[in-house]
Amino acid sequence: MAHDELKNQIRRLRFEHGEMTQQQLADKVSVTRQTIIAIEAGKYAPSLPLAFRIAHAFDVGIEEVFQYDNNFRASGD
Amino acid sequence: MTQKEEAWIGLFLGVPILVIPSAVAVFIAYDKGLSFAPVLMFTGTVIWGGLLWLLPYIQRQFSKDKKKIIFDERDRLIHKRAVMASYVALWIYFVAACVITWCIVGPNGSISVNVMPLTLVGGLVLFNCVQSLASFIQYRRGAEDGAR
Repeated sequence: MAHDELKNQIRRLRFEHGEMTQQQLADKVSVTRQTIIAIEAGKYAPSLPLAFRIAHAFDVGIEEVFQYDNNFRASGD
Repeated sequence: MTQKEEAWIGLFLGVPILVIPSAVAVFIAYDKGLSFAPVLMFTGTVIWGGLLWLLPYIQRQFSKDKKKIIFDERDRLIHKRAVMASYVALWIYFVAACVITWCIVGPNGSISVNVMPLTLVGGLVLFNCVQSLASFIQYRRGAEDGAR
């Protein structure tokens, strides 16, 4: 299921944090690497607790990691 | 062992493991005319199926890296959807089995009670296949790109 309305900055944040690998991030937030891959690619929308854990892993706010595309909603209505 | 690997095993190993003993038992039952054979067949199939489902847990017990995350919220969601798809398929199979039997033998016909355990075995195999296929399709769709 594609979640085009939910954008994320995980890839950029990983590289800004010492080129953190997907596996390292996955270990930090207690998920599999495949889940990180799916989230990065916008194919899976994480739960709210997982989204918070990812944000905490980068020491940033959740809104800096995930952005909701308002235009998607407007065109969908 | 990842959930995707489990789905593959379920599909390509699970089906022969379930089907071969069942087919052998059916052959023996009809060849020897043993009245208790369907019960033994059903029991054997359940044992084989149970061993198959225990495989991931046994593998994890002997795994060196027990702390490694192999099942998370996305796997849980995929598993839930796969089970739901399996139950839908099982219901359709059950309805079809009833309706087709009625159509074949007619409203006043009768069938052997041996058909009952065979129907259950068929349902078990179908459930396993649909669950594995649904899991595999979802994993494939969710991890096509972005890997690095």
